[in-house]
Amino acid sequence: MAERFLVGSFGEPEGLLAAVSTLRDAGVAIHDVFAPYPVHGLDQAMGIRRSRLPWITLLAGLGGLCFALAFQYYTAVFDWPLDVGGKPENSTLAFVPICFELTVLIGGLGTVGAFLLRARLFPGKREQLPVLGVTNNVFALVTPLQGEGNEAELARQIMLENGADEVEERETES
Amino acid sequence: MNRRPTCEDAAPREADGDPLVQIGLPTGTRSTGFEATRRDVLSLMGFSLGALGLGAGCRAPVQHAVPLPAASIEMVPGVPNLYATTCGACSAACGLVVKQRDGRPIKIEGNDASPLTGGGTCAAGQASVLSLYDDGRLRGPMWLGNAVSWAEVDRHIRSVLDARGRDARDVVLLSQTITSPSTRALIDELRAVFPRFRHVVYDPLSLAALREANRRAHGAAVVPHFLFDRARVVVGLDADFLGTWLAPVEHARQWAQRRTAGTDRGFHVQVESGVSVTGSNADLRLAVAPSQIGAVAVALLAAVTRRMGGDDPGSFGAAGLTQAAPHAVAIEQTAEALVRNRGEALVVCGSNDLPTQIVVAKLNAVLGSVDKTVDLAHPSLQRQGDDAALPALIDDMNRGAVHALMVWGANPVYDHPDGAAFRAALNKVALTISFADRRDETSAHVHAVCPDHHFLEAWGDAEPVSGHFSLRQPLIAPLHETRAAEESLLAWAGRTTDHRSYVRAFWKRALYKPAAGAAAPDAFDDFWERTLERGAIDLPRPPVATHAFAADLEESVREIVARANRAGGDHDGYELALQETVGARDGRHANNPWLLELPDPITRLTWGNVASIAPVTATALGVSTGDVVTLTTETGKLELPAFIQPGQHRHTISVAVGYGRWAAGKAGDGVGGNAFPLARVANGLRTTSARVTVTRTGRRARLSPAQTHFSMEGRDIVQTLALAPSEHEHEHEKLPDLWRERLHGAHAWGMSIDLDACTGCSACVVACQSENNIPVVGAEQVRKNRIMHWLRIDRYVEGDGEDAQSLHQPMMCQHCQHAPCETVCPVLATTTSSEGINQQVYNRCIGTRYCANNCPYKVRRFNWHNYTANDDFPYNMTSPLGRLVLNPDVTVRSRGVMEKCNLCVQRIQLGKNQALLQRRPMADGDVATACQQSCPTGAIVFGDLADAGSRVSKLLAGRRAYRVLDDLGTRPNVGYLKRLTREEES
Amino acid sequence: MSAGTIEPTTGAPETLPATRWIEGTPSLHRITTDISRPMEARPGRGWWICFAISSLAVLNLLGMVTYLFAKGIGIWGLNNAVGWAFDITNFVFWIGIGHAGTLISAILLLFRQKWRTSINRSAEAMTIFAVMCAGLFPLIHMGRPWDAFFIFPYFPNQRGPLWVNFRSPLVWDVFAISTYFTISLVFWYLGMIPDLATLRDRATTGIKKLVFRVLSLGWNGSQRTWSRYEIVSLVLAALATPLVLSVHSIVSTDFATSLVPGWHTTIFPPYFVAGAIYSGFGMVLTLLIITRQTMHLERYITTNHLEAMAKVILLTGSLVGYAYATEFFNAWYSGNVHERFHFINRATGPYAWCFYLMVLCNVLTPQIFWWKRARRNIPVLFVASILINVGMWFERFVIIVVGLHRNFLPSAWGMFYPTVFDVGILVGVFGLFFTLFLLFIRALPMIAMWEVKGVSHG
Repeated sequence: MAERFLVGSFGEPEGLLAAVSTLRDAGVAIHDVFAPYPVHGLDQAMGIRRSRLPWITLLAGLGGLCFALAFQYYTAVFDWPLDVGGKPENSTLAFVPICFELTVLIGGLGTVGAFLLRARLFPGKREQLPVLGVTNNVFALVTPLQGEGNEAELARQIMLENGADEVEERETES
Repeated sequence: MNRRPTCEDAAPREADGDPLVQIGLPTGTRSTGFEATRRDVLSLMGFSLGALGLGAGCRAPVQHAVPLPAASIEMVPGVPNLYATTCGACSAACGLVVKQRDGRPIKIEGNDASPLTGGGTCAAGQASVLSLYDDGRLRGPMWLGNAVSWAEVDRHIRSVLDARGRDARDVVLLSQTITSPSTRALIDELRAVFPRFRHVVYDPLSLAALREANRRAHGAAVVPHFLFDRARVVVGLDADFLGTWLAPVEHARQWAQRRTAGTDRGFHVQVESGVSVTGSNADLRLAVAPSQIGAVAVALLAAVTRRMGGDDPGSFGAAGLTQAAPHAVAIEQTAEALVRNRGEALVVCGSNDLPTQIVVAKLNAVLGSVDKTVDLAHPSLQRQGDDAALPALIDDMNRGAVHALMVWGANPVYDHPDGAAFRAALNKVALTISFADRRDETSAHVHAVCPDHHFLEAWGDAEPVSGHFSLRQPLIAPLHETRAAEESLLAWAGRTTDHRSYVRAFWKRALYKPAAGAAAPDAFDDFWERTLERGAIDLPRPPVATHAFAADLEESVREIVARANRAGGDHDGYELALQETVGARDGRHANNPWLLELPDPITRLTWGNVASIAPVTATALGVSTGDVVTLTTETGKLELPAFIQPGQHRHTISVAVGYGRWAAGKAGDGVGGNAFPLARVANGLRTTSARVTVTRTGRRARLSPAQTHFSMEGRDIVQTLALAPSEHEHEHEKLPDLWRERLHGAHAWGMSIDLDACTGCSACVVACQSENNIPVVGAEQVRKNRIMHWLRIDRYVEGDGEDAQSLHQPMMCQHCQHAPCETVCPVLATTTSSEGINQQVYNRCIGTRYCANNCPYKVRRFNWHNYTANDDFPYNMTSPLGRLVLNPDVTVRSRGVMEKCNLCVQRIQLGKNQALLQRRPMADGDVATACQQSCPTGAIVFGDLADAGSRVSKLLAGRRAYRVLDDLGTRPNVGYLKRLTREEES
Repeated sequence: MSAGTIEPTTGAPETLPATRWIEGTPSLHRITTDISRPMEARPGRGWWICFAISSLAVLNLLGMVTYLFAKGIGIWGLNNAVGWAFDITNFVFWIGIGHAGTLISAILLLFRQKWRTSINRSAEAMTIFAVMCAGLFPLIHMGRPWDAFFIFPYFPNQRGPLWVNFRSPLVWDVFAISTYFTISLVFWYLGMIPDLATLRDRATTGIKKLVFRVLSLGWNGSQRTWSRYEIVSLVLAALATPLVLSVHSIVSTDFATSLVPGWHTTIFPPYFVAGAIYSGFGMVLTLLIITRQTMHLERYITTNHLEAMAKVILLTGSLVGYAYATEFFNAWYSGNVHERFHFINRATGPYAWCFYLMVLCNVLTPQIFWWKRARRNIPVLFVASILINVGMWFERFVIIVVGLHRNFLPSAWGMFYPTVFDVGILVGVFGLFFTLFLLFIRALPMIAMWEVKGVSHG
């Protein structure tokens, strides 16, 4: 079934911030906020936990490191050891640069990949905009409309008090 | 391959019409346009086999001449056969062993069995195999400039020869010295056929004065056989006996035998005007103008006689000498050494000046060299030319006294100062014939050209030194419709015998019978077999009768002194000195790109000759290297680029002959300038020097040097060691090693190069090029510093005065065990083999050139262009015929890959296979690299460093051993033995 | 308001008041329209002229590289003594150019330098294009470019289990360059996603909308995404910072690990990195001075930006000068005959003029930036930036060619003379670079709108 939302559009981030904190104090759940640029302080106001993506980076990076080390060791020592300038077959020091590069490469790609997955971003995805202009100059505050109507009324009140240009009800097309 | 097959192996089975013989002939032996594919190899195989089939048809008796090993027992496809034969590159007629693969000769090697040269060769000899496949060769006989059949050309010639009827005009055979006894006999027979037959002999570089001097002094007009190995003190006067003079390979071998014999190294003084290979190796070198050579000889004689307490020097007028002063001290020192070693002393003089040669003859007589180091009884049979004969012949021709003229192995229009006159006189002769293999300067103007075989296609024999014989047998059926000159002569004389039978018969009659006597009159077949197989043999010859020195010394001395004082008087003028170089020699190989691109050991220049000028003189004249100057003598005028040459005598300009051919062929035409016309024939003798004026043209020429910087910059690259044991002697310390030693396989191949024995003669450079399919890149690319030689001979010069010291250093891949090139190659295209060879994998190389940048010896060579099948490089590799010289055991490298010396790995494999077949471990000396094999002085020794008993191991353990740029820690497997410097004689 | 007060992640208080970096306080909408203008308006004559010239150079490049592949690198002036010259000089030069981009986008991000916001997008684009230009040379300088893939370790290969030589700096290069290119590209694209979304929502024609929709991955400015997005940006910046240092260090090992006098030096890695940033900022200056004039973005790319870059140039330029001096000192101090000769030859040999040109451009030129008036004077900045790039090109030329043409064995000494193909390809690659950049400023937002918005309003 289609979900119903209350969408308040703001022209300035300050009002938005105030509205968000007041709403949460009033115990109104906040679905999400949409903004043309990351508004600082909004995370705390909305109570978003710090992302755990850096852990992905660490794991992927370590994976890359191990792969690089193992691969170079295998090819140079096991698969076909050759006398290259009289150097030892396991020239570990010479393997360091490539270990580093692969750590960075796989770590970086892993992180970005994880981010796109987590944020459900993919080519051709049809964007879902609460109001037009959130990518330009509009800040939108979205709260879910469920249960009894007085909470919706409260939310609408708070938004208008904090300088929302307009507040409307929207449904997700399902 | 221990037993060398002889051509006769083929004979019996051909007779039974072996199916092999019936293999079809590719379309016509004259066709040249066959596809340039690797099928060349096969097609030629078929070619020769086919020619054999052909031989069986039209030239019946000649079938025995076909050298195919196909029918011989050893023939295994892909396995080379070796045949002993005799070199035809110059009159020295060195013994050769020629490597034949699939029916084609592909590599010249020296014949260890030859008592004279013992396995050595020279650059020209090494390169002569390429001349066999020269596109410039005629495909068949020509009459009046049109290709015709042999029958037709014979008909024309016979008709004219017979039409002569009774009138009394000469039939003249003009040739250079012929050292073949059978051919000399054949020529004698012609005298019977043609009543007024004359044989005129001349040499472009003559020793007539030497022979005349010996006639007057000892009653025998001979060129002595010099024995350098018996001489502890050698004085060379204007004689480049290690590089080009007379029999350089033999001389170099003897000279090195003495020099490398333990501590008694001998003492070698060289007196010359320009720097020669010999001079650059002398212990003491005196720069002297050509006009003063005689004076030095006189001064030397005076000093010697004074010491020997003999007749007072004044008695023969040496007192009047004023010019030898500059070198007085050195001359005294030399005389001292000569006298102290009398009986083991030798003075050789190359000057074609009679008085000088008489004085030298006297010197040798006084020092008791005759019959010890100077063998008159069994003389050299080279350089028998008579300088007066050719001018006389020209007169006869102009007088119309010559009816028929046959020119054989000579090119007077090019190499004689009267060439133009000769060319004009040709028109006065009813019938002119040339045996030249191409339309050269002379044969372009004759009626009939009857191309002779290349010596690798021919039968023959040689006696370069009285009593020393060698046989020549063909390695391949004639590539073109050529015919042995001897056969032509026989045919015109109405004889039907083919050349081989003639030689064989001659040997039986003239050489075998007297030698064997009644002992084994009918064992000749074995004797013939064995001799063919062995290549060389010594047979008794009656000694030439001589008497003690009895020439008019005073007269000669007086003339020399007068001339010297006159010439020496004015120092404003300059003298020209013509010299032979190891690459160009007398110009007969001018179309051979290997020799054209061979860097001269002294100037390190390729593709042309220059006017060598001393630094001080250059400053005085205001010229620098590359400025074109005009050299004008009374007989000619020549424009050449100047080249500043330390060691050059300051009033002498040296110019190499053998360049400036205009009808040599595609490669050789117009390379350099022809210096022959600059010197004239004076009172019956060809001179090699003249008064010359030098003028600047203001133009600049672009030289093609293989080396541009000659100073060692104070680095320890060529190391020397004082002969007398001294504080120089020290154990070279072992450098620390970052990594544990890598274990080798069964062998660790290495090489030792003796810088004291290496003369820089460059035979090895061409041998390497021939063995390893190294492309010729041409003057333009050499100028861009892209020469491809894997082995180069660096020359370093210390000092820039007349006493400048030369040091030669062969430089090739050093096969480092800690090779800098390997570490940096991204694709593992170069690694160290389990046997210590730094190997290059062509098909893995992607051509980043990082290895070459990181090679401290700069021995890696990159294929900047496609040098095969590329019209920009019209040399042998782009010609279907020329490509037949390629060694099938060695990859022809593609564009964009790196290459370099690999210690002739293909020869190593061959050696291993043989050892395997004979079920024995490899022994020291089983493998000889191409450079080592060609070296006349044995300076290069290759072997297994893992075997402590091998020669190379012992040499590299000695106190003279060192590695170049050792401090870089590259650990080369190629080491050098320090050149010895002699403490001053006192 | 200063963002610093409510910014939790910041360490130090704001070093510069954000407003300094944008003239006035344009409305969010104004920012969007200003920055989108170059992509929506028709290009001016200036743009067309530049584009015509540079694309001609690209045609020339195509022709010459084709001929090069047909004939072989013999058409260059290289020879037995000098195996590398223009090819590797250009390679190192362009890699160096790239570094400024990453530095501005990553390192300045870590240091919270707000002034980077207006220039980081174009600087990163420059990085990408420079690395593309650089990557061309390892390919075309090969003797057998059609076998270039040999340099990648892949399986199965027909040469048995034959891999590559992981000891060779050239293989390190392959990994370093490709990693650097990939990470830079990802970082650049990631940073562009919100702006692509903006453009999507501004798009009028269907095709434009479609393209931007695909590219913007359905971005809708959700705050939950924004917060992850900023974390990812920081992570990438943290990865890119050591990466950019490693890349030029590894490039420098092409020389440092060899034994060629003048190459075999431990100072090379820091020296090359400093040089890279130096030349990179020079190139950024050149580009921005041109674009801000032609695209009328003075409001966003202010003289303050240029001055800040001039300061970086002064610093890195002096570092480079110090490195030059150190090299000479070490050569003398080492007492190594080959090393000493190399530096004497560098200063007095046949290529001495290159050396002095290099010192003039790289060491003396930046000293003018001690004066504030020079740092804020557009013509001075422009000329200096050009000189710096000339000088940095010659630095690499001097290192490579002078090192090779006369080393251990005097018998093997030689000279390098460039041919028309050496020069033509050098010019052609500049053409390629500028063509790509000119297309970029027409097709994509050359200034990060969302970041500028954040700086001016956040």
